[in-house]
Formats: sequence, C-alpha cells, structure tokens
Amino acid sequence: MRSTQLSISCLSLTLLLAWAAPALAESGAETYRTKCIQCHGTGVLNAPKLGVAADWVERTKKGKAVLTRNAINGINQMPPKGGSLQLSGAEIEAVVVYMLAQLPGDGAAAKAKPVSTAAKTAKADSAAAAPKRVAEVAKPKPKPSAKKPKPRGKPVNTFNRLMRPPSQRNLPPTRDGIHDASSVETAALQHPKEAFGPMPKSNSGNRVDWVAALSKGIIDPRFDLEDDTKKPIVLDLNIVREVKGSMPDVVYPHKQHTEWLDCSNCHPSIFIPKKGANNISMASILLGQQCGVCHGRVAFPVSECRKCHSKNKSKVAKK
Amino acid sequence: MYESLPTITATRTDATVRTANRRGSAWLLAMLLIPAIFFSAANAEYGDVVINEVSEEAGMRPVVFPHWFHRIRFRCKVCHADLGFKFEAGGNDITMLKIIDGEYCGACHNGNIAWSVENCNLCHSGKPGTKTQVHESTLQKLVSPVKR
Repeated sequence: MRSTQLSISCLSLTLLLAWAAPALAESGAETYRTKCIQCHGTGVLNAPKLGVAADWVERTKKGKAVLTRNAINGINQMPPKGGSLQLSGAEIEAVVVYMLAQLPGDGAAAKAKPVSTAAKTAKADSAAAAPKRVAEVAKPKPKPSAKKPKPRGKPVNTFNRLMRPPSQRNLPPTRDGIHDASSVETAALQHPKEAFGPMPKSNSGNRVDWVAALSKGIIDPRFDLEDDTKKPIVLDLNIVREVKGSMPDVVYPHKQHTEWLDCSNCHPSIFIPKKGANNISMASILLGQQCGVCHGRVAFPVSECRKCHSKNKSKVAKK
Repeated sequence: MYESLPTITATRTDATVRTANRRGSAWLLAMLLIPAIFFSAANAEYGDVVINEVSEEAGMRPVVFPHWFHRIRFRCKVCHADLGFKFEAGGNDITMLKIIDGEYCGACHNGNIAWSVENCNLCHSGKPGTKTQVHESTLQKLVSPVKR
C-alpha cells in the first residue's frame, strides 16, 4: 500500500518535473540553503558535498528513490531527515532532486542522493517538539568502521582481566561490543566520553563520580517526570553498622541515597527500616542482593571497599 | 509468610536474603572457582542493560538501555519508583504494546519528553545474540555466567 503510494508519487513527480521543475527546484534549493548546507556545504561528518562529483559517484548509482529514502531514514552519520524532522518526505525529495541537479555535467540526473540537514538547525527548530531525541541524534558520532579495537589476548590470561586500560574505557556505542555496529542508528547514539567530560572522575564503574557530579551541580537530573522544579526530600541520617572482623565499620549515609532514590525503593522490600532487622553480608551483596541490588550494577561497585567501610574502629566510640 | 508472596516480589524479600546469607559464602567460593571462560570481548559501559526477553524472538535486535545516559537526566526514583521499573534486568515484562500505552519506556518515549517509538533502532541497537544482563556488573564479572 505504502509502496504503491510511493511509486505513484514518484511517478507523478517525474511527470510534474517536466514543467514544474523550476518551482520544485526552488523549494529544494531553499531547504538546502537553510538546512542541508551546514553538512553538505562543508562536507562535515563525511557528508557528500554539493556539486563535488567524486562524492556522489557511488550514491547516484543507487537512484533517487533510494537516496530519498536514506535521507528520510538517516544513513551513516546523517540522522533521519538530517535532524530536521519537520521536513516532509516531499521536501526531502525536492532537496535530493536539487542536490543531484548541481552535479557537474549531470543536471538531468534522475537519481538521487542522500541528504541531510543540519543538525544544528534542527536542534533549534525542533527542540520544543523532541528535545531529547534531537540532542541524541545530533551528536556527531565517531566513524563506525574506521577503527576496530585490536584483538587482545585471552581475557583470562591478561594482567588483571577486570582492569581495563584507559583505551578500553567509555567506548562509543559503535565499539563497545554490545551494540550492533552495523546498524546505522547505533552511530547516532551519544558517546559516553562526551557526556562524562565535565564530570568528576572516579576509579571504577563509569569512571565518573556520580554523587560528586550531582552535589556540585554538574548534572541536574530531574526528580519528577513532568515537573522540573520538584526537588527530593533529603534525609540526612547516617546509620553506622558495626562490622565483624577487621574491616572498618560501615557508615550508611541516607543523604546521598535520598538525593537519587525514593524511600520505597529500599524500604521495606530490600531493607526493613528497623535497627538490627537486616542481616547484611558481603556474600549476598556480591550476589546482587541488599546493597548489591545497585552497588555492583549501577552505583559504584563493591571494589570501592572504603567508600562504605569508612569508620575506623579504633577511633571514637560508636553511637 | 514471605514464601506466600508472588515469585516476582519474593526475589528480594528477606526470606531470600536470609537464605543467601546462610549459603552465600559457600556459593561465592564455589562460583569464584569456576573458570571464567565465558567472558565476552564486550567493553560495555558500566550499568548498560541489554534486554532480550522478547526482542529477538520477534525479529528485532535486543534493546540496549544505557543507565549512564538516563541518570544524567533523571534520578533513579523517577523510573524505579514512579514508573515501576523493578531493579532487575528482565524482571519487568516490557512489551511494545505497553510502551505505546505509555507504560515503562513509553512514559517518556512518546515524542513529548523523549523521542518516540518509531525510532526503533535507537533502542533496538544490541548486537544480535546478546542475552538479557547488566553489563560490567559484579555478577557478570566475578561470578560468571549465571545469567547467560
């Protein structure tokens, strides 16, 4: 059904072109000037440049329909509709026709080409409609296939297989081993390093100190889905847990936890809110229970012993 | 008493916890001794969750949920208290139908707060064959292949 419609529209477009070409070309040119030029005028992110035949040789072979479709859906580093999601399919097609017509010696090219538009413009234009999406989509991504991590030896036999060298940390989605790098959209996902740049560093987990980033105001995650003025009710209450054995006692700060979480996240399903009611052990934490529900999955991992075991037994009597 | 709770909530009740405490040490020791031969070459970001409960059966790539991206924008409470996401990979029975109805991911991914569901491959971006798991978690790294 849809493809029939598409063919019909393509057909009528072709017919129309004979006499309506000037008007169409004009609107294509206009869109190009306001949107596409930012990438296709400069060649940024490997965008094929307007009028540069070498950039277009392979692309024109695909035909206009394919190029238009790619421009609409996004391809390689080009986000869907080049990030200008308000453009209609017909407008995209018009731009494709215009851009093909600018190729030297081939004004008649009935083939097509990708197109795109400027992510920046889109950001401004459609920020209200889809802020987060544009933010994600507009991120320039590293070339997907340019570099592959070089194969390493068997992980079991490498020095400390759990400690990644800096070159293997915070990899972009295209290289992290769990995303499908062959998917065009994977390249549109944000690169963690880009997000983590301004945040305080840590030695484990995401290599970012989330608590410090929050307390210093470097990030400002919402506490409510709709209302960005809502703030958490922070409970400043430390719970000291005496620890058997030689490790320092644990000081559990409600403060940092209530910045992120709701009471109901932990009480009463994970921890009974009563002194002495919870028998906590490192064994169950390592198995992903109790503190390990978050610590070791998302919150800082259990390798950071002293962040919890922070109260030296020899000092000061416990409460 | 706890034993009578539905399984899904019972996963983290004290009954289980106590059981784990009792047997925890033995388990841990046994599991650490298992040769860690199943390590993937993945270098995922800490906390990245792959969800592949129904995706691949339905012919889509697995979903990759990046915790880091979302916690920059929302505190844990928004999803884990208000939206009802349980603290367990694969424990939420998420389907596209529910998402389109505004549940789970659909509370934001509706074209209003975040981009909408027609951007299939932005979420369904996982490498084919990846199982449901929390990447880089202690369980995955130390205890080995329980969840694979």
